[in-house]
Amino acid sequence: MLPLIAFWSGLGRAWRRKRMLALYWFFHTLCAMGAALPLMAAAVPQLGRSRLGDELLRQFDLAWLAEISAAAGEAAAPAVIFAALVAAATLLLGAVFLAGGAAPLLAREEEPYSPEEFWRNAGRNFWPYLRLSLYSLVLYAAAFAAAGLLTRGAEALWGEGLEAKPLALAGYARLALLVVLFGLVSTAMDFAKVRLALSGTRQSLRACLGSVRLAWRNPGVVFWLWACFAAAAAAAAYAFVELAARLETRGTAWVAPLVLLQQAYVLARIWLRFAAWGAAAELDPILRPLPASEPEPTRLEAADYQI
Amino acid sequence: MRHWLLLLAVALPLRAQLARPVASYDIRVSLDAASHTISGEQTLAWVNDSPDTVPTLQFHLYMNAFRNSRSTFFRESGGQLRGDRAAEDGWGWIRVDSMKLEDGTDLTQRLQCISPDDGNPDDCTVAEVALPEPVRPGASLRVFMRFTTKLPKVFARTGYRGDFHLAGQWFPKIGVWETKGFRYAEKSGWNCHQFHANSEFYSNYGDYRVELTVPSRFVVGATGEMVKRSDDAKRGTSTYLFVQPSVTDFAWTAQPGFLRFERVFEAAKQTSQEELAAAARLHGISLEEARLSDVQMIALIQPEHAEQTERHFRALSTALKYFGLWYGRYPFRTITVVDPPYGAGGAGGMEYPAFITAGTSYRLPEDVLMLEIVTVHEFGHQYWMQLVANNEFEESWLDEGFNTYSTGKIMDKVYGGTALPLVVFGKDFWSWLRLPKLTQASLDRAAHAGYPVRDPLATRAWEFYDGSSYSISSYSRTGVALRTLEAVLGEDTMARAMRAYHQRWRFRHPHSRDFQQAVEEVSGRDLEWFFSQFVFGSRRLDYAVSEIRNRKLDAPAGVFEKEGRIETVTVKEARRRDEEREKKGGKPRYESWVKVERLGDAVAPQEIEVRFRDGHIERRPWDGAGRWAKFTFTRAAEIESAVIDYGRKYALDVNHANNSRKADYNARLSTEWTLRVLFWAQNAMLWLTALV
Repeated sequence: MLPLIAFWSGLGRAWRRKRMLALYWFFHTLCAMGAALPLMAAAVPQLGRSRLGDELLRQFDLAWLAEISAAAGEAAAPAVIFAALVAAATLLLGAVFLAGGAAPLLAREEEPYSPEEFWRNAGRNFWPYLRLSLYSLVLYAAAFAAAGLLTRGAEALWGEGLEAKPLALAGYARLALLVVLFGLVSTAMDFAKVRLALSGTRQSLRACLGSVRLAWRNPGVVFWLWACFAAAAAAAAYAFVELAARLETRGTAWVAPLVLLQQAYVLARIWLRFAAWGAAAELDPILRPLPASEPEPTRLEAADYQI
Repeated sequence: MRHWLLLLAVALPLRAQLARPVASYDIRVSLDAASHTISGEQTLAWVNDSPDTVPTLQFHLYMNAFRNSRSTFFRESGGQLRGDRAAEDGWGWIRVDSMKLEDGTDLTQRLQCISPDDGNPDDCTVAEVALPEPVRPGASLRVFMRFTTKLPKVFARTGYRGDFHLAGQWFPKIGVWETKGFRYAEKSGWNCHQFHANSEFYSNYGDYRVELTVPSRFVVGATGEMVKRSDDAKRGTSTYLFVQPSVTDFAWTAQPGFLRFERVFEAAKQTSQEELAAAARLHGISLEEARLSDVQMIALIQPEHAEQTERHFRALSTALKYFGLWYGRYPFRTITVVDPPYGAGGAGGMEYPAFITAGTSYRLPEDVLMLEIVTVHEFGHQYWMQLVANNEFEESWLDEGFNTYSTGKIMDKVYGGTALPLVVFGKDFWSWLRLPKLTQASLDRAAHAGYPVRDPLATRAWEFYDGSSYSISSYSRTGVALRTLEAVLGEDTMARAMRAYHQRWRFRHPHSRDFQQAVEEVSGRDLEWFFSQFVFGSRRLDYAVSEIRNRKLDAPAGVFEKEGRIETVTVKEARRRDEEREKKGGKPRYESWVKVERLGDAVAPQEIEVRFRDGHIERRPWDGAGRWAKFTFTRAAEIESAVIDYGRKYALDVNHANNSRKADYNARLSTEWTLRVLFWAQNAMLWLTALV
């Protein structure tokens, strides 16, 4: 019940920070444009003047992608890869920076949102959050390795056999385990972000390890919290795919609603991301209360010294 | 004697369609399942069907390609084929233990390895023996051989994995003696190439009688009909006798775990009278000629793929039907399809006479048609490679490419497109995400457009630029070229040409020029421009509409001579005249032009279609020879758009996007496309930032 309550509370907290949602949407869209526009600059001018553009919208033709890549030539590949890496690095650093601004405001719900507060938090928390992200990569790698053990075990047992079934089932199990482990790591890191925000410390390693310990000690709560968000994300994806498919078949007049639907889906994903931090903020004080602050020393008056 | 009578008994009903046997084999072998070794003997009956006196014999010993890492195959392939890597220490080989003539002459010591292609002294996939007496024209000889074959761990179409055995290219096989002029050969000699990484095979037609002795627990499948089985309870073995006349090869498989299923392709049920009548009308043949035969279909399926058994049979039935209707009935009584087990994929996707290997995966979703594609394709090789037995070493396009073309037509006609294998937890996510199904035509064109044209289609297999050039040229690019030829000639003419070529060269060995000749005869057209550029050349086809201009024709201004008088019209006067004309309801006139360009080095006749804003359409032919051409129009409407190759005949054109051009940039379209790409980029970004 607790995870569900935290889930709903997180959704509410995120919803009440709409300007932050918009800022995140704007940032991701800007980065996406940075990645997409160079690609489209190569392809779109031709499509805009070619009847192929209309045809591709009705029935996508893989050959067009092959034409583009052939036209760009092998020399273009390093430039494209470089541009993609730069875009990815910018994106990740930017996301860390923005998370430093957003997480504290989601954790401390009573504080009103102000851009100044947001950017001040972002600047203050950038390095701790960046360190936390790097530590999380180690955890993701560990999760990957752990899931990989399943594959290796399956290979050792059935790799030389004539049946794919045991390996296929092991593959399903590995994928499921990987998804769960990644989810748990991600949720634990949400708690770590919140802990950094609430405690005001800059000790990201301590926050990271503390959150791993929290997840270890409260596996049920953490897992079910993650499961709530995973289910919500899956439901959003399903709804999007179904609705988009219906709009696609209706022709060009429905392009605007389709675009709106697409952006609504992007916003929904961002909302769920914020909600995860909000839910972690809801649960964190319950699962590991912050130490009570020491009482202030009583100030004795002169009359108290009278004998 | 008994076995030759038996062979005759099988062959007689088919005598009208049989090939003249040149290299016939009577083979008796046994499989040692523990050591994966085949040992036994064979009698080769070879006929010198040429006007030459033949002094030597040359044999393929294909299995020696896997003997060690110094073979030509291993040197060229780096130990991998089609993404499959050779197992460490999983070597295979073949050894001729004894070779004697009918008169007892022992030739064993005379057998020498030769390397006619690359001079590699470490390669022994071809061996030659000098005969004590040359073989005169028309004469025949019988060679008795004992041999031992060690199967490799499954790799490059053959081998074993666990107790699964697939024996392909497993016995000493005589090469093909080509007299001068045969397949345009410049001189007489043996056509017996080494086994290369990119090559396949080539051999004469003959009758095969093969006795296979295996442990009784094994289920066996092979080329041809199983006419007898005998069991030796004491030894725990069973001996199967397979016979098949008029084929170029023999392959077999054995595995205890096979599930064996049989169905009959009932021609009368699978084809309607309308379909037969349509085929008969199209090809100018009788209904009887168009009719197909019943065929026994045998499937050897892995237990974990049992639920996919009917998919195998449906694919086989589809292939039997359409290849039969289009090119002629399948002449053999049986067709066996083998489903290799997990880890033996290297043995899958291969063709042998009346015996094919397919391949699938655990719980393959229905919409992912990989199983159907490979089954139809491998069956198709019965037509392109077996019945029309081209030299796969030298002209791989004649079988792989022709089969790609035929298979693509069947798959697109019967199944529509396929989902790509985006399978998660056994579910087809490609279809769930509503991603578009992909037709074979689009997949082939994507491969063609995405890879530079480096080699002619008719290049010897081991002389391609690299493995990618070999596979794309032999398969996809040929498929695209034949589709282009079909569009140029018309579907019906192409269908007649393909059938005529197939029927003419059934049970024979054609050359690329023979196909050209057949197509030119049937179509009545000179197609040298097509073949010289795209089959025997490596020209790149790319035409584009490069420019559209519309210019309003104002009333003229300046100094003019009119009827001997000099008249000066000022700009102001010219404008006044324009306004007056428009007031009176006169329409403006435009001088418009379209420029088209030849960007590639291939030349092909073109047709340009120009559309005007008033709905009028003009069409102009262009021989396509120059680097560019300009078409000018003076009309009351501007040009709206222009298309070169408006019929989309040239699938070979590497860039269809530049084949059309609109006068006005369609900002709505480009915005729509940009927004789509943007959306996918946003999602990719969100997945990435979920990690931090």
